Amino acid sequence: MKNKYILLVLVLLTTATACKKSYIDLAPEDSLSPSTFYQTDDQLQQAAIAAYVPLRDLLINDYHTSEMRSDNTHYLPNPVNRGTATVYRENVSDWNNDANNDYVNAVYYHCYTSISRANIVIGRIPNAAKATDAGKARADGQAKFLRAWNYFKLVRLFGAVPLYLTEVSKAEDAFKDRSKVEEVYAQIIADAKDAITELKAPAKFPQTGEATKGSATMLLADVYVTLKRYADAETLLATLPAMGYGLNANYADAFLPTNKNSKESLFEVQYLEGTAAGSQPNTFVFQFLPKTTTTVLITGAVASNTTGSGWNIPSFDILKTYEPNDKRLEASIGIAEGTFDASFIMKITAVKSPVNYVTPANLQSTPYIKKFVHGPYASATNSGENWPIYRYSEALLLLAEAQNEQGKSPLTALNAVRQRAGLPASTETNQGTLRSIILHERRVELAFENKRFNDLQRSTDGLTIMQAYAAKAKTTYTNLENNAFDIQAYKFLFPIPLPERNLNPGMSQNPGYSF
Amino acid sequence: MRISILSFTILLTAGLLSVSASGVNGQALNKQVDISFSRQTLDKAIKQLEKTANTPFAYDAVYLGLNQKTIGPATFSQQPLAAVLGRLLSGTGITFKEASGNILLNKSQQQGRLYGKVTDENGDPLPGASVRVAGSTAGALADANGNYTLNLAEGTYAIQASYVGYQIQEFKDILISADKPHQLNITFAGTSLLKEVTVSYGKQRTREVTGAVTEIKTLPMQDMPVMQFGQQLQGKAAGVSVTQSSGQPGRGVSFRIRGAASLATDYQPLFVIDGLPITGSINNINPEEIETVTVLKDASATALYGSRAANGVVLLTTRHAKPGDPKIEFDMNLGVQKIPRGSVPKVMNGEEWAQFMNEKFTDAKTYENPATTVPDIYQNPSQYGEGTNWFNLLTRSAPIQRYNLNILSAREKSSSAVIFGYESQDGVVINTNSKLFSLRINNDVSVGNHNQLKLGFNLAPSYRMDHNNRLTSDGVGGFYERIFEASPINSPYNADGTLATGAYSTGMTTYVNPLALLTKSQDDYITTRILGNGYLSCDFLPGLSGKLNVGVDKGAETRNQFSPSIALSTSSAAPVASTGLSSSVDNFSYTAEGYLNYEKTFLKDHHLTALAGYSAQRFESKSNSVNGTGFPSDDIPYLSAATVISAGTSGTTQYSLLSAIGRINYDYKGRYLLQGALRSDGSSRFGADRKYGYFPSVSAGWVVSDESFMKDFSKIDLLKIRASYGITGNNSFGNFTAIPTLSNYNYILNGVLVQGQTIGSLGNTELAWERNRQFDLGVELAILKNRITFNYDYYHKVSDGLIQARPIPRASGFVNIQYNIGQFEFWGHEFTLNTVNTTGRVGWTTNLNVAVERNLILNLVDPGYLRRNNTVTSDYYRNQVGHHLGEFYGFVNLRLYKDAADLASSAKYKSTGLSDNGSSDIGTLKMKDLNGDGIIDDVNDRTFIGDPTPTFTYGITNNFTYRNFDLSVTMSGQVGGKLLAAAKWAYLTNLDGSRVPLEAAADRWRSEANPGSGVYPRTKTGTTAIGRSVNTQWVESGTYLTAKNISLGYNFKLKNALLLKNLRVYGSVQQAFILTGYTGGSNPEIALSGQDAINGIGVDENAYPVPRTFSFGINATFK
Repeated sequence: MKNKYILLVLVLLTTATACKKSYIDLAPEDSLSPSTFYQTDDQLQQAAIAAYVPLRDLLINDYHTSEMRSDNTHYLPNPVNRGTATVYRENVSDWNNDANNDYVNAVYYHCYTSISRANIVIGRIPNAAKATDAGKARADGQAKFLRAWNYFKLVRLFGAVPLYLTEVSKAEDAFKDRSKVEEVYAQIIADAKDAITELKAPAKFPQTGEATKGSATMLLADVYVTLKRYADAETLLATLPAMGYGLNANYADAFLPTNKNSKESLFEVQYLEGTAAGSQPNTFVFQFLPKTTTTVLITGAVASNTTGSGWNIPSFDILKTYEPNDKRLEASIGIAEGTFDASFIMKITAVKSPVNYVTPANLQSTPYIKKFVHGPYASATNSGENWPIYRYSEALLLLAEAQNEQGKSPLTALNAVRQRAGLPASTETNQGTLRSIILHERRVELAFENKRFNDLQRSTDGLTIMQAYAAKAKTTYTNLENNAFDIQAYKFLFPIPLPERNLNPGMSQNPGYSF
Repeated sequence: MRISILSFTILLTAGLLSVSASGVNGQALNKQVDISFSRQTLDKAIKQLEKTANTPFAYDAVYLGLNQKTIGPATFSQQPLAAVLGRLLSGTGITFKEASGNILLNKSQQQGRLYGKVTDENGDPLPGASVRVAGSTAGALADANGNYTLNLAEGTYAIQASYVGYQIQEFKDILISADKPHQLNITFAGTSLLKEVTVSYGKQRTREVTGAVTEIKTLPMQDMPVMQFGQQLQGKAAGVSVTQSSGQPGRGVSFRIRGAASLATDYQPLFVIDGLPITGSINNINPEEIETVTVLKDASATALYGSRAANGVVLLTTRHAKPGDPKIEFDMNLGVQKIPRGSVPKVMNGEEWAQFMNEKFTDAKTYENPATTVPDIYQNPSQYGEGTNWFNLLTRSAPIQRYNLNILSAREKSSSAVIFGYESQDGVVINTNSKLFSLRINNDVSVGNHNQLKLGFNLAPSYRMDHNNRLTSDGVGGFYERIFEASPINSPYNADGTLATGAYSTGMTTYVNPLALLTKSQDDYITTRILGNGYLSCDFLPGLSGKLNVGVDKGAETRNQFSPSIALSTSSAAPVASTGLSSSVDNFSYTAEGYLNYEKTFLKDHHLTALAGYSAQRFESKSNSVNGTGFPSDDIPYLSAATVISAGTSGTTQYSLLSAIGRINYDYKGRYLLQGALRSDGSSRFGADRKYGYFPSVSAGWVVSDESFMKDFSKIDLLKIRASYGITGNNSFGNFTAIPTLSNYNYILNGVLVQGQTIGSLGNTELAWERNRQFDLGVELAILKNRITFNYDYYHKVSDGLIQARPIPRASGFVNIQYNIGQFEFWGHEFTLNTVNTTGRVGWTTNLNVAVERNLILNLVDPGYLRRNNTVTSDYYRNQVGHHLGEFYGFVNLRLYKDAADLASSAKYKSTGLSDNGSSDIGTLKMKDLNGDGIIDDVNDRTFIGDPTPTFTYGITNNFTYRNFDLSVTMSGQVGGKLLAAAKWAYLTNLDGSRVPLEAAADRWRSEANPGSGVYPRTKTGTTAIGRSVNTQWVESGTYLTAKNISLGYNFKLKNALLLKNLRVYGSVQQAFILTGYTGGSNPEIALSGQDAINGIGVDENAYPVPRTFSFGINATFK
């Protein structure tokens, strides 16, 4: 009899011992918890580093919106693949995209991903109990630089955008309406100023690749020029030489893998070639090559580059825009010569210089962007090419522009750039002519660096230039959709992504777009 | 046990008395006595009686073992001594007689015999039925022919007979004498409604069940040549939809109960094997191991599974040995699978393809660019003839085989079942197969003369080897698509006999050689799983019992994958690097449950049972994965040959669940039934602010046929009305979804990798289970001695707090947040009719079930709909508030633009104004301008164009027996509902020349004078994309009828032929035929993702066809 009660008690005990609340309080063991992270200098730096990473995703898309949208580049026709991945890309180049374009929208998204991660760093720094003041300044400065840079890209491409300045932790935090353009710029300026204060000038060259006081200074100067605050820009730009920046001897040197983060570099996005775990290769510069099975002549490596390439192809217009003897033409552009098959895949038989190039009668050819390709690569479509965001030559051209707009002579800065390219010094004194010269100089000096569309946006001649280019493009390029190259002023702003507006219906669309 | 001696004694009294008395006439035995016994030994009682009756007794107390026997309290008033003695000695085997005034006690030497046959209502023997003396251990089991023999000492007995599934029968006053054997034939008849069904945490009599429960015995379905038990359940139960949407060997079967659907979580029911809830796949279960499947559908039936019950619960009871002689069963099934020809798209052959391309280039020259030339290889189409038939090359008739060896034995106190199985299925697509080795050992032991203590121990290891059957076969980029897009004018081989790289001809998109892809790819999974549980149950006190059940589920899976260069490359000039992957997952979970059951009848007609228990479950998984590349050759498919290890990860995850359960059942006279149940679940998955959930249910039943006013309706055996309401939950939303996590975002500084780390996904502290509130009303009717039974259920359920990856503006830096937000409504009617149509020489029974299921989306996050993706070409369906699940979304097709006037007066695709033709032209597809703005665009001119939900689904099973033959035909189907022929139009009607189209597309628009069939548009560059956007042309009727299985068997009645007692041979056809008007393929059960309504039902996108299987089998029983 007793035994039974013992059993009964046993049953109850066994079950009751399991009744502990801690039994159901589990946390992931294979990742860290946000509540205990963000405490030390090292952790803050790691969090700041995470905010750089979306730049890589941005760059895979931004060449559509900032370069192919301009008169600098187009694409090779691809009539056998009319999938949306093809059509959407073409639409950006052809100025007939709508708000549902994945490539335009990706630019918007990736800028904000970087901003979100910057916001986390900025918001958590005051509570980082174990961090030093120096560590906090370093992380805060980088985060604010990245936040400012991304908002600057957003405000130029999309106009008034929502301002997210704090960490999002609940769904309610995620819904914001568009802020005024002036408010966005005010925030950019405030962040860039903080970054200039908090960050240090490069300790040595080559630099580490982190954002520096120089990066932030250049960014703010760029913002000021865009806002026509020329005097402010000039003051800032004048501080750069003291930080050690200068031009490399040759134009092509600026892009050499051996010259990464050189004294000419104010900020660049970092890549590391390789296929092993942990490598961070640049794959998108290969998208700028023709679709071909014979890449070896260009990249030095055997690669099947038949899908996903044929984008960002130098336009007929840019090929003609270089002045005679401009070394930058040959440094920037190559010509692939060979034959296209019926699937528009090129068999490349030779790679030629674009200088005075004429396609032989029995062959076909296409230009391609050469300045970011430095083979041979060990593996196909995998490079370590860094991507320039700000170079010192742009600082010089911004300085020239700021000086010219204030009625000062821009020639010292302008000629520094021209002479390195092997061109004669300009002696022009007319402000209007100089304005055109500087715009043109930016076009060739910064070709394919995602600057041209922004330059056309802020230039009073932008609309005329694009309309003239479009007229020629419509007759030059084949396989265009009927509504391609319908250049209108409103299209200098991209539409706010439709999926964002679907989620937040109160958000307005930029004028001119039907949805 | 002492407690029961009294009742035992009372039971046997009357009879034994008369027997004993018949042999004696003495004075002493007739002496009237007044005596009262307390609980004491028989020895003392005899001494007390001797004294009270004042009569000398003669006996040997040691020999008779009187001290070892005990009696309960009893009182006799003015009873003859014989009666008193009869009572005291009944069942003891001790006889008494009077000799010379003395009472002599001695052991009975006379044995009698009880024998007979135990049968069911049809007269079929019930081997293993138990026949025993009530309350004692003396008993016997019926043999294979239902015969039993029981040797008993002379006397009168109460005999009890029992058989699983029937009510216990009792026969009183059975006289056993030595003179002649007593024959007692026992029939268990017409009591099918009294049988028990497995319910959550126990068993219940069918007629007392107040929830919607369907039990399916799988034993009669063993003829089906299938590897997954789900296939056996197709069409068997109303409201339980089991479909096979892909023919991959050993895979592709999904369950959906009462239209269950959920957004971010699973829609599959909870599977419970022998009381233990299973996490993960049930693919490794050998169908032979399962004896019954009980499907719990409404909230009252499932509520005890709380936060996991919202999608219904499937209880699997494995096979245990039944009382009966030891036996060995051997089953074998050999079959061959073939792809039904009707399900294969007819694409162009070599000549037709070359002709098509020739015309495409010719048309381009005519209409677009006069400089266009026809490439040389398309100049003379006739040279190619049939070309390469990739389909024939890559598919085959494939064997399937299954062997089972079952060793079953059961004794009085123990039973043991050992089930060994081997199954092997080759895929109908070459180089794919699946093999399963399984073993199950079920042991049960009872202790105590009333089996008060039971112990059980079950162990089921299994080992599955999957070869290439999980390669992506369906959908975009799956190999089934590759088979059809390869160019028929290309050879799979180079001139030297090696595999060609790529299989495309001029103008096409570059495709890999599908023969290389299928023959050279390796993707092997090895899955080991051990399910084990042990239980201990004990009857503590009358009515009170307890059970402890501890189970473990241990699983491990390793994967070795290798994609050699040839399987990935489209050009030999630029081969793609080979890649390899090695990964493993190790899962462990345990469940420990303890519960008490109390049963009490009070005031005669009030019956109460109560259950209270506690359960703890914990799951843990560890996994790792390593990727490699840089293989110098394709010879060694393991990472040891890789020169570069390109990625590696490892991780772990857990969940735990802590629950309390309680249930009370009350009935009055078994006529008015009430049940209330409650489960509380604490779960590690729930957000910090919502750790515990409570899941109550109530139900009631009324057995109307027991009422006196029903007496006049003598044909009605049972009429029961029941209703239930309850709340259940769905917690299958990921283990740490509620908690924000940090992720690595590494970057390069100084030319080396540096670690970056920040929040990668948002948490939600308020994240809770999805809530499902369900009402059910049921009617059960049995008439004509249970020959016709009819069940009807109406249900209405609302699922709310559906977890949705709520999209948030990406400007937040995040894509979504897991959120309890959506709301769905489901309702439906279920009808089940079972009839015994004929009995006797030709036996015929029918099961017909019909389910009407409806759903409505009541609420979703902004913008109130979920589209499949942003790409218009594969945006097949939209889940939108106010609509049904998975409604197709697209353009309304108006055929082709006929001529210039038609083009001018119609809206055009992507035109920028009325004068611009956009992407349209004469002979291109014309869509309806829904918003009337004169322009066809992707946003404003698409609408809902079809609902995949059927009007109703049905299943019919007919079983026939004639002499030794049996025939079973299982059919299922649906009426109404739409299918979307996506593969046919998005891929096989691609007129870009980028892939091979259907033969029918040859008859397309060429010119106004030659517009073709009017279905297929022209090939003009830049106009064909809209043909690949969903439109009404794609929508077809989903009505179908399939014969899931037809099997014909013959039983050899073997009379004592050596050891072989039973031999049955049968032939069977699985997926015998399909009647459907669907033109996109022949499997109308198709879907993008099983039956997941959220991820596309009724969408046919290049699915691996379900084969037809012819098989032959043998069941042999040895004793």
